Amino acid sequence: MNHEPYDTLAATYALGALDGEERVQFERHLADGCAVCEAALRASAETLAALARSAPPMVPPPRVKEELLHRIATTAPARDGRRPRPLVWAAGTVAAVIAVAAFTGAFVAARYEGRLGHMAREAAALRARVQRDEAALQEQIAVYRNVVDLLRDPQTQIVTLRGLGPSPGASGRVVWHPFNGGHVFVANLPSAPTGKAYEMWTIGDAAPQPAGVFQVDTAGRGTHRIPPVEGGKPVKVFAVTLEPEGGVPAPTGPMVLASSK
Amino acid sequence: MATPGADLVKQMATGDREAFGRFYDRYAPVVFPLILRIVRERADASDVLQEVFWEAWRSADAYDPARGSPEAWMVTRARTRAIDRIRATRRRSETFVAPLDEAVAAAPGEPPGDAAERAEHRGTIRSALDRLPDAQREVIELAYYAGLTQTEIAERLKQPLGTVKTRIRLGLERLREVVKTSP
Repeated sequence: MNHEPYDTLAATYALGALDGEERVQFERHLADGCAVCEAALRASAETLAALARSAPPMVPPPRVKEELLHRIATTAPARDGRRPRPLVWAAGTVAAVIAVAAFTGAFVAARYEGRLGHMAREAAALRARVQRDEAALQEQIAVYRNVVDLLRDPQTQIVTLRGLGPSPGASGRVVWHPFNGGHVFVANLPSAPTGKAYEMWTIGDAAPQPAGVFQVDTAGRGTHRIPPVEGGKPVKVFAVTLEPEGGVPAPTGPMVLASSK
Repeated sequence: MATPGADLVKQMATGDREAFGRFYDRYAPVVFPLILRIVRERADASDVLQEVFWEAWRSADAYDPARGSPEAWMVTRARTRAIDRIRATRRRSETFVAPLDEAVAAAPGEPPGDAAERAEHRGTIRSALDRLPDAQREVIELAYYAGLTQTEIAERLKQPLGTVKTRIRLGLERLREVVKTSP
């Protein structure tokens, strides 16, 4: 396609004078990633910077710098160069992403008033996504922290689970504390069919006790928190069965993982 | 040897306030006359200047030297914010735009006083633009300093839109040559 019309649009755009349908059209063209127009806009920005520089410099009122330095000193404690603690780091990154996204959103919206609504929606969607990601991350951190705490306790045991029947390649480990409960980590377990889920069981001297349902990801991995058994009664066997996704009070489906007695 | 501007921005991104001070000292005298020329009131210009440098501090980590010099980064930001300011003012006062001769006049922030000195100032400010044909200079001034869109310029000058676009493009190309060859 002939690029020539875009050269004219790029010049007008660089001076901030493009309006109406043409601006929409040009911004779409830019969003498609036109290297020629990007280079032209960059060159124009440098030309306009050189034009600004060609004027005699003028020292602004000193209070502007004073106020800025004050504002920086009082509102940016997170940027003082100290290394944040590792667990805080993840949340900090998320916050920074939100800040940058919000800033970019604000800057662009101010410049292209007509697209304000669109940009705001985009920024809100991004923020929502980042918040969801952050929540998932926090949940994961809580699990890891809990496991680390369990591992410090001499009463904690590690129990190996082996694949059975329909899933001989599956494996798992339970990190178990008699009073605090524990976590099960499984691998190579096929995704449960629609409407089904894996259910965890703790088996002592009496009937198997349900210990919650879980799913595995597409790679066959899953993590599940196992609640402590009432009264800290010893668990002799940990087992996983395939059950209706709401869970059942006593096992009905095939056993897919179990610890040896 | 002065630290390159891009390195100052990089230091600012790590929270280096001292680097910000030097960055300000270097670029504020360049963008302040531009802002003042656009918004015309010294108090407004000071507000816009502060806003522009505050944004630079907050977004220093988003600056990419491959996309332009720190000077272009700041000048683009300053021009955008200054135009935002005058458009907001126009909306508030429900007037349209200043008369043409006012819109293209030199910065009103210059000290009143010696007319010859002022003229000399203006001469320097406009030296690069003055080397453009009048018709091209006029459309660039209306767009860049007065914040008019191409449609508004066409109405103002009673010229077809196509003519305005061509003048803008040729004017910008000419300006690029002029600043390239100027010392």
